[in-house]
Amino acid sequence: MAEPVVRADRFGYSYPERHGRSLEDVSFELEPGTFTVLAGLSGSGKSTLLRVLSGLVPHFHGGEAVGHLVVGGLDVRDHGPGELAAVCGTVFQEPESQVVMGGVRAELELPLEHRGESPAALARAVEETALALGVAHLLERRTDTLSGGELQRVALAAAMVHGPELLLLDEPTSQLDPVAGDELVWLLRRLNEDWGTAVVVAEHRLERCLPAADRVIALVEGRVACDAPPADYLRWAAGAMPALATPAARLFSLAGLPQRPATVKEARAALDGAALGEPRPPARQASRRNGRPGSAVALRGIWMEIEDGPAVLRGLDLSLDAGERVALMGRNGAGKSTLLRIAKGLADPTRGRVDRAGEVALLLQNPGDYLIHEHAVDDAGAAGVVAAGLAGREAANPRDLSGGERQRLALEVVLAGGPYAAVLLDEPTRGMDRAHKDRLAERIGELARAGAAVVVATHDTEFAASFADRVVLLGQGTVIGDGTPADVLGGGRHFSTEVARVTGGAALLPEQAAAMLARQEVSG
Amino acid sequence: MTLIPSYRSRPSALHAARAGVGAAFCGAFALVGALYRHPLVLAGALTGIVVAGMAAGVGREVARSLRLALPFALLVALVNAIVYQGGDTLLVRGGEFLGRRWDITLEAAAEGAMVGLRIVVLIAALGGLMSAAVDPDQLLKALRRVSYRSALTATLATRLVPVLARDAGRMGDAARCRPHPPGRLAVARAALAGSLDRAVDVAAALEVRGYALAGRPARGRRPWSRHDLRIAAAALAVAAIAVAGAVAGAGHVEAYPTLDLALGPTELAMAAAFVVLGAAPLTGRGARMGVRHG
Repeated sequence: MAEPVVRADRFGYSYPERHGRSLEDVSFELEPGTFTVLAGLSGSGKSTLLRVLSGLVPHFHGGEAVGHLVVGGLDVRDHGPGELAAVCGTVFQEPESQVVMGGVRAELELPLEHRGESPAALARAVEETALALGVAHLLERRTDTLSGGELQRVALAAAMVHGPELLLLDEPTSQLDPVAGDELVWLLRRLNEDWGTAVVVAEHRLERCLPAADRVIALVEGRVACDAPPADYLRWAAGAMPALATPAARLFSLAGLPQRPATVKEARAALDGAALGEPRPPARQASRRNGRPGSAVALRGIWMEIEDGPAVLRGLDLSLDAGERVALMGRNGAGKSTLLRIAKGLADPTRGRVDRAGEVALLLQNPGDYLIHEHAVDDAGAAGVVAAGLAGREAANPRDLSGGERQRLALEVVLAGGPYAAVLLDEPTRGMDRAHKDRLAERIGELARAGAAVVVATHDTEFAASFADRVVLLGQGTVIGDGTPADVLGGGRHFSTEVARVTGGAALLPEQAAAMLARQEVSG
Repeated sequence: MTLIPSYRSRPSALHAARAGVGAAFCGAFALVGALYRHPLVLAGALTGIVVAGMAAGVGREVARSLRLALPFALLVALVNAIVYQGGDTLLVRGGEFLGRRWDITLEAAAEGAMVGLRIVVLIAALGGLMSAAVDPDQLLKALRRVSYRSALTATLATRLVPVLARDAGRMGDAARCRPHPPGRLAVARAALAGSLDRAVDVAAALEVRGYALAGRPARGRRPWSRHDLRIAAAALAVAAIAVAGAVAGAGHVEAYPTLDLALGPTELAMAAAFVVLGAAPLTGRGARMGVRHG
């Protein structure tokens, strides 16, 4: 049997100046060529474990480590990230911060230069890696001209260019749109199968990764709570931690069915014969009820043309009513963020008119941009801290809060001056676990009940189905779909939930599908 | 859009040349700006830079750098004219203020204009033509053999400055979204803290790319292309003319007490040579990028 590429034996770690261990008593082994998914809620220790595997912990971050963790024969307590880089490649969450050179070719050459490779070996490795990872067409591009998906692919190529036996990825798809995210996971699977590289990926959207995984390690409060193949993991999650189950597995659990499918195909096969209703065709209608008087915000004939670029919005009409909860969807570059900025008044359209019934609040994509003080209370006020669910942590530095906590605090910062006719949120669920998303959906409900039109630009179809009563789909600079979540997300090919794909669009969420199955059982 | 252009790969002889040669070509014109203040010689060099920029497809970028340089040049010209009282030819009698006379002389105005023109030439050569047409990664890669860490730091700076500028812009937008927008100082402080966070992230990325083990990169042997040879020859010629002229006393200018400007065949020939040498390696059959497909 081959030597494990990772062997952890009762490993524990605590960050400097922080109480308690971030990792505790972690033991596992990873065989070469396996595809492992790290699951866990925010703050469970996934990122810390990846940083241990790459040698950043404890050498870069400091802190105290106990036990043993050996990667490729090197104990992480004795060998730093430079030495471990020979064994493992690492890709982080934020594409902008991990691409260090100005050009793509130079970015791929850098790790090989560090290793003192000859120019000929360097040129060959760059060419082969670029071709294998589909970035050959980007080699002569400047990194500041790449999209997020392209940057993440370049970061992956730079991590793989020296042929490591282990690849570590920390939520690599969290900043990407679903298409780029799916492409990246597909690429990881190919690397794993064709090159035999062991892959360890931390990810919140498990439904995206589980079909490729051999194994799932779930961390709860820094400890390994489950280490099993995907089907067994889903069985564990359904009972012990439903927030870590995929939507399809939750459907089966809620319906009392014994299977725990890891893929849509398996779920469909398991439901064979249980007709949940007629499959829905994709929504075709557009501009459901635009131009109505008395709207919270009304956009009429909005054009937004970029200098030296295409028109982002082309004569768009959209009315948002008080108390509405709207999910604004569309691929990257469809104009969602631009639309929100125009609705707020942060950007002026090239042509068109915006009517607002009152003040409009806008939360932009990066919550950290709103948190500019040393203490949470200085940013959001005492009431805002409580409303964000952070009572007792008024003195905390916002930089020490988790991503979900910062998001909630930033939302309270922009809501401080209310009441608002409309509240606009730009991709607020990026990198959020399900528990945080559920809390955000509750807050959105509160705002809508208080009379605000709430618009959330999102790629997350499950989240959209859970909070929205209207879904607006943008494409080609205008509204190409506008209706209820069932209308728009029920029959879509790409813009649909996992449960909709399993049930042919008859239901969007696990709870709905389980209820339908229960009704069917009663009537049958 | 920033006034300092950034490099983009383009199908031109200057872009195709190795970075060291491209930098030497731009540097040779900058050398003219450093050595001379004769307006005709400087005008020749500036025309050479503009012609080279147009031939390399970066005319707009060079024009942008000129827009950046002109206010500086005008400021220098104005300050020199107002502050320096030398010169015999009085243009404007300014009267007395703060215990001194504020006259403007032809000589002080001309001297200020010539210093301003030097600034324009330097910025156009380095901030315009070189920024837009010479690959900084390749240039710094060559320098990494001399001082690895310094050159890598410079590379990171060129990469991160636009990223940090975007971060600061985003934070400014977020401040506008707050019900009570914070002061500029608070936003600037937060932007600085954010840039430190980003620097830590980049440092971590460098570590996992094996930075700790980095030594002196191996020397690459890249054959000299026809573009390398033509542009290097032009750079050498510009630098040689500039140095030889300076040694021989060509382009002599004496601003005070009366303006004395050498305006003979030598200065005319130098100016013409700089224009021709700016265009020659980047135009004509020899500068074509390759054969057509099909």
